[in-house]
Amino acid sequence: MANLRIEQLNKRYGATTVLNDVNLSIEDGEFVVLVGPSGCGKSTLLRMIAGLDGASGGDIHIAGKLVNTLAPAERGIAMVFQSYALYPHMNVRKNMTFGLKFTGVPPTERERRVAEAARMLRLEELLERYPRDLSGGQRQRVAIGRAIVREPAVFLFDEPLSNLDAALRVSTRVEIANLHRLLKSTIVYVTHDQVEAMTLADRIVVMNKGCIEQVGKPLDLYYEPANLFVAGFIGSPAMNFFEAEVKGIEGGRARVTGAAFRDLDIPAASLKVGDRLTVGVRPEHLVRGEAGAFIAEGVVELVERLGEASFAYLRRADGRMFVAEVRGRRTPAPGETVTLVAAGPDVHVFDASGLRLAT
Amino acid sequence: MAEPVSHVTAQMPRAKLAGLLLFFLGPAVVIYTLFSIYPLVATMALSTYTSDPSGSRSFVGLANFRTLLGDALWSKPFWNALGNNLIFFIVHMCVQNPVGIALAGLLSLPGVRLKGFYRTVMFLPTMLSVVIVGFSWNLILSPLWGVASGALKAVGLGSLFAPWLGLESSALVTLSLISVWQFVGIPMMLIYAALLNIPEELIDAARVDGLGQFRIFFHIKLPLVLPTISLVSVLTFVANFNAFDLIYSVKGALAGPNFATDILGTFFYRTFFGNQLQLGNPTMGAAVATVMFFIILLGLCLYLFLVQRRIRRYAF
Ligand SMILES: Nc1ncnc2c1ncn2[C@@H]1O[C@H](COP(=O)(O)OP(=O)(O)O)[C@@H](O)[C@H]1O
Ligand SMILES: [Mg+2]
Repeated sequence: MANLRIEQLNKRYGATTVLNDVNLSIEDGEFVVLVGPSGCGKSTLLRMIAGLDGASGGDIHIAGKLVNTLAPAERGIAMVFQSYALYPHMNVRKNMTFGLKFTGVPPTERERRVAEAARMLRLEELLERYPRDLSGGQRQRVAIGRAIVREPAVFLFDEPLSNLDAALRVSTRVEIANLHRLLKSTIVYVTHDQVEAMTLADRIVVMNKGCIEQVGKPLDLYYEPANLFVAGFIGSPAMNFFEAEVKGIEGGRARVTGAAFRDLDIPAASLKVGDRLTVGVRPEHLVRGEAGAFIAEGVVELVERLGEASFAYLRRADGRMFVAEVRGRRTPAPGETVTLVAAGPDVHVFDASGLRLAT
Repeated sequence: MAEPVSHVTAQMPRAKLAGLLLFFLGPAVVIYTLFSIYPLVATMALSTYTSDPSGSRSFVGLANFRTLLGDALWSKPFWNALGNNLIFFIVHMCVQNPVGIALAGLLSLPGVRLKGFYRTVMFLPTMLSVVIVGFSWNLILSPLWGVASGALKAVGLGSLFAPWLGLESSALVTLSLISVWQFVGIPMMLIYAALLNIPEELIDAARVDGLGQFRIFFHIKLPLVLPTISLVSVLTFVANFNAFDLIYSVKGALAGPNFATDILGTFFYRTFFGNQLQLGNPTMGAAVATVMFFIILLGLCLYLFLVQRRIRRYAF
């Protein structure tokens, strides 16, 4: 168990910058999830923490110790790989003890740790089996077991659930959450799946194109996204965006107009007439009604019924589409024109550079 | 899902199925029979005949084999050649394959520069003609105008030089090493290809487990390419009996000095085609070839039953 501090971390391959000035501080025992679209540098960051890839610049501290030049095994980390990376020529027991042999753990201690990890992960029956005789979920548990027996200060997971089917993914997710509660260790977990991020994380780090866009608690990211990217990335279906412009300023309030919604009043702050803005509203915050801070009309084109909710896809005045969540059995029919409203706190306004304004 | 092939063929009219089989298997069967099975059977048949000076042949059963293994005039050179083959094989197994494995291991290390260049250079001799290789090494090692003695003198090791190819004690091993030099590229390439197949994450996992590159090679990579190594060993075994050209081009059919480099290939050549005062004897030659066939067969069977069954291939 330990804290982790990353300062000004950079990674370049020739002319391409993969990580750009990454700063991140992780507390002892925290479960941090790195999330972002494919290719944004999550794995690269994780591999640099592990010491598998060198940095082009910057420092990594684990438990207060600068580890830049240390080999992976000396950093007090353990890693679970996307493909599990079990040694195919060793049985489960050997897979787990193999690394311990080279770090000078005595045989009795090795056995004790394997027995404990096997009990925790329900692997006792499988210890003598080879990876080829295990199912995907069992392999995944062995990979986690191999990490646990190292008794690392920091666990690193790289998309550990992406090779599992949907049902197994949910149950393994719960197991990982339980494991964290049990071990109380620091975990850095990479995924491109926002549901995993939201359900597992103490804090989420949203990455995009090699930069950190926002760090925060899951619900903070959801309710107060720092910028357009985070707003669009967190939440499913994604937030609706409407182009807008400041039309007038009067008594500390700015009047915001757009082609697809009725005029909106927000605090003027430093806004000027003519500023271009983006207004964002989540599908689940739009309800049918006549009065509200935000009002938009649309013609229903398609309704997706999921059971607990339905999603209506509407054509709005400027010709583009937006989505609204509808609860209950009565869903609007295609062709119907509906008016949707959202309450003030659920309306997000972003300036031209993409930063969210206080409303 | 598509229907299993066995269902489809079961419902097919017999004539149509026969036509289908003929269409797909026919060409291979014809070529294989014509160029492999027929010559083999014809050779075995020939080995049971003898020809008198007039050229007429008569059936003698296993008499040729009795002569070959029982008559000292034939059995002495035969056992000599077989023994030399064994040495030839051992040198290849103990030098060529370990060096090939080591080179492949080095090439597969992360961050090696000029990989393509080294790979090509080490594979180059394999593509040269054996005659050219034999001739070049003959020149290099020649005590009269070879560069070997001069090169050794230049580093102060002149006293180590000997006319290795001319000495009965060292000629065979020297020739084996020349062959190793030429063909080390083949095990290297096969094993290198197998090493490239090992997923990167597996190596990363071993690094996180605290293994250095050396231990990763011995504990992870080597066990995983064992099937390829055993395949290479079989290839080495078979190639060893096909070896003929290098000895013929360096030493001639007499495989001197004093038959010190005579292997079954050259022994067969002299027997079948004749050489200098020795008359060609096709029926005895066929007997030698048949014995060689059974030795290879025995070797392969031992391999298949003792080794192959215990080796596991890993899917990643
Ligand atoms: N060895 C490399 N050489 C050049 N570019 C690389 C290399 N490894 C990764 N990249 C690039 O770095 C970016 C981030 O990769 P990665 O960290 O694997 O993304 P992800 O967030 O999907 O895990 C990608 O655009 C990838 O193309
Ligand atoms: Mg990745």
